[in-house]
Parts: sequence; structure tokens; C-alpha cells
Amino acid sequence: MNVPLDPRTKLALAVAFTAALVSTSNLGMLITATAIVCLLVIVLGHVRRWLSALRTLVPMTLFVFVVMSFTFDLPSALGAALRLAAVATAFFLFFQSTAPEDLADALQKMGAPYVFAFILTTAMQFVPVLTRQMQDIMDAQRARGIRLEYDLASLPNYPALFAPLLIQSFTLADHLAEAMEARGFGAPHRTFQKEYALRLQDYATIVLALAFVIISWQIK
Amino acid sequence: MPLVDLKRVRYQYEDSSSYALDEIDLTIEPGEYVLLAGASGSGKSTLCRLFNGLIPHFHGGRLNGRVIVDGLDTQTHRVVDLFAHVGMVFQNPAAQLFNSTVEREIAFGLESLGLAPDEIARRIRWALETTGLAALYDRPPNTLSGGEQQTVALAAILALRPRLLVLDEPFTNLDPQAIERIRAILQTVHGTGTTVLVAEHRLHASLQDATRLVILHNGRIVSDGPPREVLQEDLSPFRLNTPFVVRLAKKAGVYPVPLSVDEAIAAGLGTDGMLGSPVAVLPTATSSGSPAVVELRDLTFVRDGRPVLQNINLAVHAGECVAFVGKNGSGKTTLLKHLNGLYRPTSGMVTVLGKDTRRERVGDLAKRVGLVFQNPNDQLFKANVRDEIEAGPRALRALDRPWIDHLISEFGLAHLLDRSPFNLSEGEKKRVAFSAALATHPSIFVLDEPTTGQDGSFRQALSRLLSNLRKQGFTVILATHDLEFAECVAPRWIALSAGQIVAHGSPDEVMRNTSAVERAALRPTARFLLRQSTRSHPAPLTTSLSAKRSQVQ
Repeated sequence: MNVPLDPRTKLALAVAFTAALVSTSNLGMLITATAIVCLLVIVLGHVRRWLSALRTLVPMTLFVFVVMSFTFDLPSALGAALRLAAVATAFFLFFQSTAPEDLADALQKMGAPYVFAFILTTAMQFVPVLTRQMQDIMDAQRARGIRLEYDLASLPNYPALFAPLLIQSFTLADHLAEAMEARGFGAPHRTFQKEYALRLQDYATIVLALAFVIISWQIK
Repeated sequence: MPLVDLKRVRYQYEDSSSYALDEIDLTIEPGEYVLLAGASGSGKSTLCRLFNGLIPHFHGGRLNGRVIVDGLDTQTHRVVDLFAHVGMVFQNPAAQLFNSTVEREIAFGLESLGLAPDEIARRIRWALETTGLAALYDRPPNTLSGGEQQTVALAAILALRPRLLVLDEPFTNLDPQAIERIRAILQTVHGTGTTVLVAEHRLHASLQDATRLVILHNGRIVSDGPPREVLQEDLSPFRLNTPFVVRLAKKAGVYPVPLSVDEAIAAGLGTDGMLGSPVAVLPTATSSGSPAVVELRDLTFVRDGRPVLQNINLAVHAGECVAFVGKNGSGKTTLLKHLNGLYRPTSGMVTVLGKDTRRERVGDLAKRVGLVFQNPNDQLFKANVRDEIEAGPRALRALDRPWIDHLISEFGLAHLLDRSPFNLSEGEKKRVAFSAALATHPSIFVLDEPTTGQDGSFRQALSRLLSNLRKQGFTVILATHDLEFAECVAPRWIALSAGQIVAHGSPDEVMRNTSAVERAALRPTARFLLRQSTRSHPAPLTTSLSAKRSQVQ
């Protein structure tokens, strides 16, 4: 489901949510916050992706919980684990409902230089490309007898993976830079396909978020 | 006024002492469709990069002479001033797309132009319709096929409405179906007045559409004119990849040369038995003769819950050459990766020289199966060519020096042994990759799309090499959508479509099977079509024998 909010509002929401959770250690408040984001995951229809994100999130949360319960006490351990889970889910929601270009545009509207915002978001497009590249290189090297497993015996052979990967990444970057130039990257009077304007629902959301932060400060 | 006006252009790359382009004079009038042909390293890509100012502004180097494009001098106008006048599509589809959706991809250039949102929306709609991408508008480009990606790259450029459209080897990584799709789009935009320039070493895709053929060799223009006239000349020193019908006509002395199979039939070509036998005549093993070296039994492979290969049954015998044919994404590469254990069957069984691949390590299978993939850059990592070739055997502790020296002479690499593999030409890199795959002394040689991006001279050398290897007892298995090449080397074809075998037999048997041809999106070869057209007039036995000797490779 699409959230009809300006990317800046969504970013403000995620940041406000984090600020609120960091400033409180009230367990009731933390449980409520976690419940809210979990509910949002379901309402916005991101359950399947969230479940796969949990594969990294759950071990991390458990780790924090175990470490904290040994060094502090059980309530603060529970608090820290909930805080981490809630904040991570909030940012998961942010990235699920915001296209990288929208984030770039939002950052730029907020004063970040275009090049910075662009690099940040474009890098994300190339994670799957480089992952595929890495798999191709591993297959090519293993096919000629070079051992590349995830074990210690393979360690001395890893230059066979990283050297081609590095060189191809440079080539890719070079080709990409050419293609971007050829489509006017860095043009002085760039416009935006979408016009961003804060509307009533954006202001309302921001007010609500601020209220949430203030409440959480009050009840620490 | 000409759209492009180059006067005495010479260009040297930053770190090079020789001229990549030398004394180029070229004018292109509005409305032309120019096919810029030349072998690898002839300067095609360099010339393409002159038009939109990537040379000299992006690549540096020394540029002499005058380059005027659409009235703008590229020495004084930057790429950002030129990109709307000269649209450029590059060879590698994945390396020119950098947005999160197809729609955003098309929008990027329009935003650079500073257009208003409603005009951007209008142009996106037009570009999606013109290129037939409407259904994919919200898809991330990195989830599309190579052909779709190249179409997106073209759409993103077309939306800018450039007066000159330049495409640098746009067809290299595409299968015939995707090539036809791009070709049709180019016909449409050329028909509406856009000037088109396509740089290719393989002439087949654009020859019939081009109004002009320019041949580049060692940085110089060596021929320029209407395609039919240029093709009439002796082009053999330029290592081009000319269509079969052109080679046939020149051999037979038929002028003007035909550009298509239909024209060749009309010219009466192929009736005198000179088509010959396409496959080098070798003692071919049959199912009853030598033992099976590879056996696939009910091979099914499932990835991400989707069957990529289904119920494949096949036996390959010692000394055979077998080709898997079919479009990109039909499962060819996945199947090859089963032959050395990189992939293991989800169900069914693969045996290689009697060994079940599920119980073998990839390293052990590498001693029996040499597999070489499409992109040689995926494996080069050593400081010099000799170390690169020996890396596999050293890792397996099975270094056989005399054998490697034999390979080095077989692949003509002796003069390159001390060079860094990264600085070789793509054809040389490919030969290094082949030697490296064979260095472990396997008896089965497996090649994935060996001819992609290679010029005419490489294709001829490779087909000679494969027949030499077969004479030495090698079994050769290849996957390709280059049917002209497959016809020259492989007497047995297996057509794949959506992970299933849809036809199996001699090249002629497969190409005659119309339902298989359609399902696997095969484009029957010119030689086959000519032979079909003349089947009612079979060639006398004597002439076909002599024709075999003079057969057109």
C-alpha cells in the first residue's frame, strides 16, 4: 500500500519515532510503540518482506537482550531489545514505502547537495547487480578447480574472487558514469518528475509525531 | 547543413602513444541510417564517443581536428550541452541503468533537460508506448532480462528526442528475439526522421535497414557508401562479420550482393550445390559407438520455487560436439553448470564419466570438465598470462607443463605470456580463459556463448580450434543463440525453451521443426533457408563434393 505522505514527512516520522524511543525507558510505552509499528507492517502489507528481514533482526535483538541482561537487569534488557526491534522496524517501513529517488529528492529539498543524495540512493540499485557478479566470478573460478567455499582452506584463494570483482566494479562505475553523463547528470537546471509539497496530512502527521516525542519525554 | 561534420579528426587516449582515430573526415546528413562497422579495436566505440563530447570531456586524451554536431563544436560544448542533441545507447545494458524503476529511468534525462512535470509525464508515456515497455513501467530495471534492459536504455534516450541516435554495439549481449525488437524500434524512429548510427562488428542486424555503411579499420575510414556497393569490395582484411548470403554471393560472383535470404533466393543463389556441408566432417560418434561421457537422467532443477530445468534426458558420447540452442533465459547456462557440479539436480541425476555429480566436489570434476563462461573478466586475476593459465592446475596440484605449452601454442598465446591479462583485447582474454579451462587436462570442454562480442576472425579461429580439439578426442558441449556458429561446429543440437527440451537432432532437423523453432525463438540460418528453398532441385553429387572443399566458412 502506498502512503500518501511527502518523503520528508516520512523521514521526520522515522526520526521522531527513534528520538521518542531513545528518550524513554518506560516499558509500557516501548511495548505500545512496538505494537504500533508491527500493526503498520500488517496494515501497509509488508508482512512477507518483514518476515525475511526478521532473520537478521531477531538474532541481533536476542544478542542485545542477552548481553544487557547480564550487564544490567532484566527490565532494561527487555527495554533495549524492544527499542532496537521497534526502531529497526520503523526504518524498515520507511525504506519499504519510499523509493530511493524520493529519498534523494527529499534530502535535496532539505538542503543536502544533489550529488551526495544521488550517490547515496544509486548505490542501493547496484547491490543486486554486484551480488550476481560475485556469484558469476565464484562459479567461473570454481569451474577451473580454484576452491572458493566459505571455509578456512579457501582463504588463500580469495584473491581469485576479489581481484576480478574489484576490477569489474571499477569498469562498471566507469561505464555508469558515461551513461549518466550521456543523460545530462549534473545539468544546471534539473527539474523533478514529481513535485513535492507539504500538504495538510503532512503537517498533521508531523504535529502528531512531535506530540508523541513530548509524551515519551514526559513519562520517561 | 550536415548533422555531423568531422574534419581531419585525430585522437589519442591519455595513456596511449598511438592514434585511436586517425585522419577521420565524415559528414552525416539528417535522416541517414549509418552502420559503422569494424573489428574489435578498430575505433568504433571511440568514434561514437566523439559525437556527444564524452571524448574529449570525459575521457581526456588529445583530440585534433574539428567535430561539429548539430551545429555545436564539441571542443567548446560539454556533454551536458550535447546530450539532448545526441542520444547514446551503450553496449552493456546493466551498466547504463541506475534508477529504481523503468519510469524513473526514463524520467532522469528529462529532469536533466529541466522539463516541467506534465511534459515529463507526456514524454514517458510516449517512450513507453514506442518501445512496448508500458507493462513494465514500475519494474526495477535490474530484475529485467538483458533485452528488456537494453530496450529501457533506448527508451530513456528516445524520450530526449535527440536528432542523432548513436548506439555502440547495442546487440552484443542480446538474443535474436531481442535484437529484432530493438531493430524494429530503430526502424520506427528512423522512419519519423531521427538520424541513426549503429556501431557493430556483426553486420546482420542492421544491414538491411542502413542507408550507408562506413567501415573503420585501425582508426581510419577505409570504405564508405551505400551498403551494397561497399560490400562489393574486398573486405577480407578488415575482419568483419558479414552475413552468410553476402559471403556466398561474393564467392559465386553474384552482383549486386543480396542483403537478405529472400534476395539471395531471388538471385538464384544456393542452387548449384555450393552451400556444402556446414559441419566440419569428422568421425562423429553415435549412440551405438563410443560410450556416453555425460548422462542426464530426468534432470529437474528448482530455484526460488520455480523450475528452471524440467525432466531433461540426454546422453553425450565421447568425441561428440553438441550445442544447446534457445533464447536467453531458456535454461542453457543452468544446464551447463550441472555438468561440473556447480549446480546439483533437485531431482534426477547427472553423471559425468560415470561419476554422480551429487557425490563429487567441483574441484574434482574440474579435472574432467573444462567449463568456460561468457565473460572472461569473471576469472582473470593473475599478474601475467602464464600464471593465469596455470592457476587452476596449481590449485588442484596437477600442473602438467608440456600440456600447458601445447595449449599455449594451440591458442596462439606464446607472445602474450608475460603480459597482464587485464590489458589484453577481449578476444585475447577469451583465448586465455579457454586455455585456463583446458589447463587441468579435462576430456570434456564446455563453452557458454563463446562467440558473444567476438569479431569474424575470432569466430573462424574458434571453429578451427574446436575441430582440432575434437580430433584430439575431446567432447565439446556448447550453449549459444548464435545459430550460424552452432551450425558450423555442432552436428547435434538440443533446443531448449523454458527449461525443457523442445527439439533434438541434426541442425536441419531442429530448424525444420516449426513448433520447436517458435517455442525456442530460433531464427533458422541463412544456409538452412537457402537449402530449403532449393530442395526441389537437389545438387548433383559431384558438384556437392567439390563444393565441400570450397565451402564457405
